[in-house]
Amino acid sequence: MSRRAVVTGLGFITSIGNDRTAVTDSLRALRPGLARIEFLGNSNLPVKVCGTIKDFAVESASWRDWRYPARYEIPRETIRSLAPHGLYAFCATEQALADAGLARDTLTDGATGLYCASAGSAFLLHHHLRQMHLAQGERGNPMGVVASIAGTLNFNLAAHYGIRGAVSGFVAACASSSHALGCALDDIRLGRQDRMIIVGAEEVNAETVLPFAAMRALSTNPDPLTASRPFDRQRDGFVAAGGAVCLILEEMETARRRGASIYAELAGWGQAADGYNVAVSHPEGLGLAEAMRRTLADAQLAPAEIDYVNAHATSTIAGDRSEALALRAVFSAAGARPRISSTKGLTGHPLSMAGIMEAAFCSVALRDGFTPGNLNLLQPDEACDGLDLPRASLEIAPQIVLNNTSGFGGSNVCHILRRISAS
Amino acid sequence: MESPDTSPASAAANAAASEAATILAHHFPAAVCDAYSRFGATRSPDEADIVVLAVLLDHIPDQKRRPKSEPADDVALVAGLGFDSVAITEMVFFLEDLFQVQITNDEILRVQTVGELRAFVREKIALSSAPRA
Repeated sequence: MSRRAVVTGLGFITSIGNDRTAVTDSLRALRPGLARIEFLGNSNLPVKVCGTIKDFAVESASWRDWRYPARYEIPRETIRSLAPHGLYAFCATEQALADAGLARDTLTDGATGLYCASAGSAFLLHHHLRQMHLAQGERGNPMGVVASIAGTLNFNLAAHYGIRGAVSGFVAACASSSHALGCALDDIRLGRQDRMIIVGAEEVNAETVLPFAAMRALSTNPDPLTASRPFDRQRDGFVAAGGAVCLILEEMETARRRGASIYAELAGWGQAADGYNVAVSHPEGLGLAEAMRRTLADAQLAPAEIDYVNAHATSTIAGDRSEALALRAVFSAAGARPRISSTKGLTGHPLSMAGIMEAAFCSVALRDGFTPGNLNLLQPDEACDGLDLPRASLEIAPQIVLNNTSGFGGSNVCHILRRISAS
Repeated sequence: MESPDTSPASAAANAAASEAATILAHHFPAAVCDAYSRFGATRSPDEADIVVLAVLLDHIPDQKRRPKSEPADDVALVAGLGFDSVAITEMVFFLEDLFQVQITNDEILRVQTVGELRAFVREKIALSSAPRA
């Protein structure tokens, strides 16, 4: 593969920090970002904890009421058609472009594309459709569609930045932004694009979160410090989170020519589905194991060459178990023992943005030389036997890392990132 | 005597009017809110005009193109102030809600300048304020 791709910019609006420095500190110190939350003014709801976004107030359906850090300048023509998670995405993208040293006028060359992932804004869609029903179909907000439906991120960011290359959205539930990153890598390898902006974002509100409670997928542990506990025997469901992460991926020679600072190389990706159940992962993780094998093959690496795995493990009983079994099938069976952690003990699970967020965490870990640990892992599930699951973050620099993601319908997507010298 | 309109569409109109008034109260200068209050009491078209002008300036998509002083009546909404069709629709809906008037798509298309918008709202208010036959 002659064309290679590197990560040159990152932006974070997450439960564990709203910039790279804060996120890196939280990953190293295992400082979680979960907080108590009450939905719909109902204290009887069993779900008490979420991965909340600090320094933003986006409860209103009107953008005029929103509060966000003053350093972000958002023109009216852009903010008028954003959903709350679109606001997060805008801020994360601004950070990533600044981090990559890319001016806005460099994005309109047609060689730059944009892939986004979110489930849309159920909150705003509900608001607009309710207004439409009240007016018996005679009136609607002219921005209702482009602000609400899945695709709102790519509609708005592409227009704002004047992107003329590939623009699309990905909808595969919790695997979505991993598909976006993988397809972005393909576009760069195939010579279709020199630079890709990949964004994942989600909201933390009743409309996004509570439907998962109806599936019995959420933790009902009321303690923000212990509710999210991937791979632990006491886990009882995931803790929903929101925010946005943006990652800039560039063709390696293009990045080097302009003297960009490089976090890591995105060395390969792969996907394989379970073909099993609409919501529950395969009990032995067959699809995820195959996705890992395909990713290793794409990067031309053996299991023993992986130093660290950022697991998808969201703290659900079935999902974490199947991932542990998949990891054993790929690594233990090959005599390999990488360090493994799920950072969702810190962040909660931000649905569509999970894959890109954790690829960004891996990029930071590779560049800064540390291995994130497993918060709240006191007694590993027996399915984890033989796996190396460090409790604390380690000042050990990984060279090659694997990032796992799984979503509804049994989609499994993995990436491999590799440390790279700056020259 | 007319019986009060209790249709769902009327309830929606009332809710929308209330939402628009809340936005005005929270996000517009006090002088504009005061003019709107006085309009409620007097139905004076001059008070309404102060509000219309403020709403117009607020809906300019690129606020860097917002004129420093009051735009002349012959300034075009699209070519002069950078409005696009969705911003015009958004502004018209907001004015409909604030003044509880109804504006059709054909009427929106005929309004192309600042002066035409001001005159048009003035005319609509006069019609809605006129005693019903």
